This record gives sequence, structure tokens and C-alpha cells, in this order.
Amino acid sequence: MKFLRQLLGNATQRVFALFFILSAAFVALALPAGLPLNWETAFSVLQNFSTLGPVALGLGLTMLVREFDISFAGMFGLGGCVAVLVGATSPALGIAAAVAVGLLGGAAQGVFMTRLRLSSVAVTLGGLLTFGGIAYVLTGNRNVPLGNLELAMSMNAPILEVFSIRSLVAWALFIVAAVVVGYTRTGRDMIATGSDVQASVLAGVRTEAIIIGVFGASGTLSALAGAMLSYSLSTASPAGLSDVSVPAVAAVILGGASLSGGTGRPLGIAAGVLVLCLLRTGLTTVGVPPYVHELVTGAILLAFAIGDGADLMRRLTDVERFRSFRLRAPGPRSS
Amino acid sequence: MEIARERGAGAAATGPRSEWIVRIGTGFPIRFAGLSILLVLAVITPGFTAAPSLLSLINTGSLIGCVAVGMTFITLSGNIMSFSLGATTGVAAIVCAALSGFGAVPALASAIAVAIVVSAAQGFIIGYFRANPIIVSIAALALIHGAAEFATGSKTIYAAENVLDFLKAKVGGIPLAGLVFLASVVVGQVIQSYTQFGQRVMMVGSNLRAAIAAGVQTWRTVTAVYALAGLFAGLAGILIAGRYGAGTMEYGEGYDYSAIAGVLVGGTAIAGGEGSVSRSFFGVVVIASVTVMLLLRGFETEYQYLFIGLIVLAAVLLQGRLRA
Repeated sequence: MKFLRQLLGNATQRVFALFFILSAAFVALALPAGLPLNWETAFSVLQNFSTLGPVALGLGLTMLVREFDISFAGMFGLGGCVAVLVGATSPALGIAAAVAVGLLGGAAQGVFMTRLRLSSVAVTLGGLLTFGGIAYVLTGNRNVPLGNLELAMSMNAPILEVFSIRSLVAWALFIVAAVVVGYTRTGRDMIATGSDVQASVLAGVRTEAIIIGVFGASGTLSALAGAMLSYSLSTASPAGLSDVSVPAVAAVILGGASLSGGTGRPLGIAAGVLVLCLLRTGLTTVGVPPYVHELVTGAILLAFAIGDGADLMRRLTDVERFRSFRLRAPGPRSS
Repeated sequence: MEIARERGAGAAATGPRSEWIVRIGTGFPIRFAGLSILLVLAVITPGFTAAPSLLSLINTGSLIGCVAVGMTFITLSGNIMSFSLGATTGVAAIVCAALSGFGAVPALASAIAVAIVVSAAQGFIIGYFRANPIIVSIAALALIHGAAEFATGSKTIYAAENVLDFLKAKVGGIPLAGLVFLASVVVGQVIQSYTQFGQRVMMVGSNLRAAIAAGVQTWRTVTAVYALAGLFAGLAGILIAGRYGAGTMEYGEGYDYSAIAGVLVGGTAIAGGEGSVSRSFFGVVVIASVTVMLLLRGFETEYQYLFIGLIVLAAVLLQGRLRA
């Protein structure tokens, strides 16, 4: 019991526990039903992970410093378009260009919000629409084919049965982020900034630099995820090749991040993404229509939004008081 | 609003003099200059004043405009924006088209009712639990899309013949949509300026804690704000169903972004508590005029997207620049 409480007391471990329970449930459901259960299932989960993961990681880092980057969906699409347009001759150059655009675009937003003391939601709303607009103009409002099927094959080729280059890159990004957040001074400063800005400033944390850096990282991660997905599908679309906005937010919140800042570690977010990807693959394998997945994601997100609500506890205790008042109106509790 | 807070304690401490300068410096001259430039550009754009382009201006502007009136209340109440108003518009169009077989009145009434309920439910969650409005509206977006896909199987729902055609009528040469938009602006502005509810919205938006301390049942105000936003989004949905004689979720796509663009360009503060419905009216007119101008000057649709993005970014940065 004590072990269990210790295990579940940590947000990251809690999400991993959820992931294992979900995996077990999936296996238990799939085996008797004779559904396909092999390395390909795990591979498909990890392929989803490699698209959603970096985007969610970037968003999660901004939530760790108590901001919120809603431009990620725009940067995800723009990154893919830049990579395909530049990378026609040299794929490495395309990735580099996408990363540069992500870094500059993200950091610029960070500069705007720190210099002008603007809320991150406001600035990144402008960023979301602007990045999307740039992607439309660059591609001329068309899907752009890359026409490099060899590259697409190599991006998606299985490594060790379940991994691919894409998912290995995604995992590497998560590990780097986990090390930075968990074991470096920058990481501690990030958590401090998210927990209490004013105290951090007093303690000598360069909070503005932290915020600019985090938004630069968020832009980079989204653009890179978009670029890798575009390469693996050998095409780019200004509207984005995959609708990441809702699942990314859900994964981050599931992974233990909170809008009140200071919480949500990279590995927790990784687990949150895994849960969502497993859910998607699981529901598809079981054969339910796609809208069920959308409803489930929305319900999870809504539940967590309510759970994170500032007044939730007050409202719950209110109900309690109301009930006891009703039941024993003139009783001793009527203070 | 947890995430829309101002960074640093000094930000709010502007003296009366600087506030005066800010008011003179921001409001009138910038808006006047902007509108004058726009007017000149419009007049020198060949074909802008011709009937077809003015009609298209009214048609694009009105639909965005109705949603923008609703969005204005959400922004004013300190809840930034809703990502689900476009989806609400789409749902209203679907309901309207689906029920048009029972006659126009039941179809319109049900469409509006569904839009109000969908939006008010979010308002209740945001107001009662003080849940984050951005997350709640994103969750609602997923739920609405899922439910709509379940109900329609992702198919376009066509309206019964001729039932909704009266929505395309013109009164005195002006499309009905334009009149509905104008009426929405007037009603919205009256609600904002002359009702107790309007005052409470501004109170809740400018300082939630003070509003709670003053005894305002803030969750009721927030729920009503979202119900109102749902009502205006529902109106837009009905007009869309009338125009296309059909309803699908795709019709509502992007309306939330265009609407917030109109709200911000009009000069309503994204942090809440400052702004008005009539400002949003001008914001929508600006956006719709520029869209039509870009079309007339031969720019493709993609430049409209870029332009809307840049103008929203500029509006946000200008707000910060003037406050800092």
C-alpha cells in the first residue's frame, strides 16, 4: 500500500502506470478476440508517438514555465512545408531550414512577450495565424510533393522491429529534455520561473532569457516534427498533415503539466503521448469508428481541465456542506 | 485567468497622466488613421465600389461578424477566446439543415438552442470550476467534432428544398445576412452598455477577484457570456445553412480565428475588461474590406491567410506596446 502510494505520488510515474494498465487492458482485450497483436502494433504506436511527441514536448515545456504556446500547430505545418520546399535536393538542408525557422519564429514570440509584457496566448495566437499564413503563401495553397520515396522509406524503415529513425529522434529529444530539466541549472531555473516568477527574479534567475529559450525550443520541436512527418509522407500541406492540436494539448495535460506552471516533466509528457497513441492504435485495432477516438480525447481533456480548475475543491466542498445542511439542518454543524 | 496574467508587478502601475496619454495615443488617432488609409485604398482599388464586390464584402463580413459579436463577450469577460465557436457555427448549420423538413421555425429555433446549450455548457465549466477557457474550448472542439461525425457520418446534410431560401433574401438591396449582423451589433452593444449583465461582464473581465469580492456570482456571468456567444454563433450557422442550403462541419471551420481577428483588430484588449462590440464591428469591416481588396487586386487566397495572421499579430503587439 505504501509502495503504491509512493509510486502514484509522482506525476510521471502515475502516467507510466496508466500506460502499463492501458497496455495490459489492450492485450487482455485483443488476445481473446484474436486481433492482430505483434511488433507492428507497437511500431504503429511509436510512429504516432514520433509525430505527436516533439510537438507535445514543446508545448509542455512552455507550460512548465507557466506560459502556453498555441502556435505549435501553425509551426508544425510550416516546418513541414519549409523542409519539403528547401529539401528537394538535400534533405539535411531542408531539416536545417525547418529547424532554423522554428527556432527563430519561436524565439521571436518569446522576445515579444517578454519585452512587451504580453500574455503568451495572445502573442502565440498571432504566431499561429502568421505561421499558417506563411505556409500557405510559400506553398501557393497547394500540397507540395517531395517526390523522394527513398527518403520516405528510410524515414519509416523499422529499426529493432519497433523503432524508426523518426521515433528514435523523438525519444532522443525527450531524453535530452529530461536531462536538461532534471539535472541542469537551466532546468531548475525553468521550474522556478514556472512556479513563481517574482521569486525567481529575486533569486537571480534570468526569467526572460528562460522564456525566450523555451519558446525557441517549442518552435524548433514543432517544426522538426512537421518536417519529419513531411519527409516520411513525402509531401507537405500548409494545413498540416496531421491534426495535432487537440491530441498534443491532451497529451501534455495527461502527462502531468498544469496551467498553473512548474509541473509536468518531459518523461511524464512522453508517457502522456504514449497513452494517447496507444489509445488511438488500440481503438483502431478493435475497429471502432474514428469519432470515438475524438470523443475519448475530448472527454479526457475536459476531465483534466475541470480537475485543474481553481475552484474545483471549493465547489466540491460546497456541495458537501450543502448536503449536510440539508440532512441535518439544525444540527451541530450549523456554525 | 492564470495564463493571461501580467508579468511583473510594475506593469499595472501606470499613473493617471500616462493613462491619459495612452488613451489619446492609442485610441482615436491610430484608429482614424487606419480607417482613412483603408478608405483611400478601397476607393482607388478598381471595382471595389461596384455592386458585386460590395455584396461579397457584406456576405463575408456578416457571417464572421455575427461570430465576432459573440467572441467579443468572451474576450471582454477575460476568457481570451473560444476555439470551439467555429465548430458551434458548423453544428448550428447542420441542425438547421437537418430539421428544415419540419419547417423554418423549428429548424431555426433548434439550431439556435443547440448552439446556446453547447456553448453555455462550456461557460458553466469555465465559470463554476474556474477551469481554463482555452483547454475547455479545445476539449469542446474535439467533443463537438466527434459528436457531429457520429451524427452525420461526415456527410453534408442538405436542407429541404426552398425552406431556408428566405435567408438569402434582400431587404432594400441589402442581404438579410448583413441586416442580421447589424442587428447583432446593435443588440450586443446595448447589452454591453445598458444592462447590469454588461457591467458585470466588464467587471469580471477586468478583475475577477474584485468581482468575486463585490459579491458577483461570477459563474453565472461567465455561463451567460458563453450562452450569448453560442446564440450569435448559432445565428451565423443559420445564415450559412441558408446560403448553401446545407450544413457540414467544414462550413464552420476557421470562423473562430476570423472572429478573434476582428475582435483584436477592432481594439478590444485580449486581457479582457476593455473594448466593445462596436469596435469589433469596425474590426470585422476592416478585415472583410481588405480581403475583398486583396481579391480584386489579384492576390490569391493564401495571401488573405497571411494578411489575417500579420494583422492579428500587429494588433496584439500594438496593444502591448501601448501598455508598456
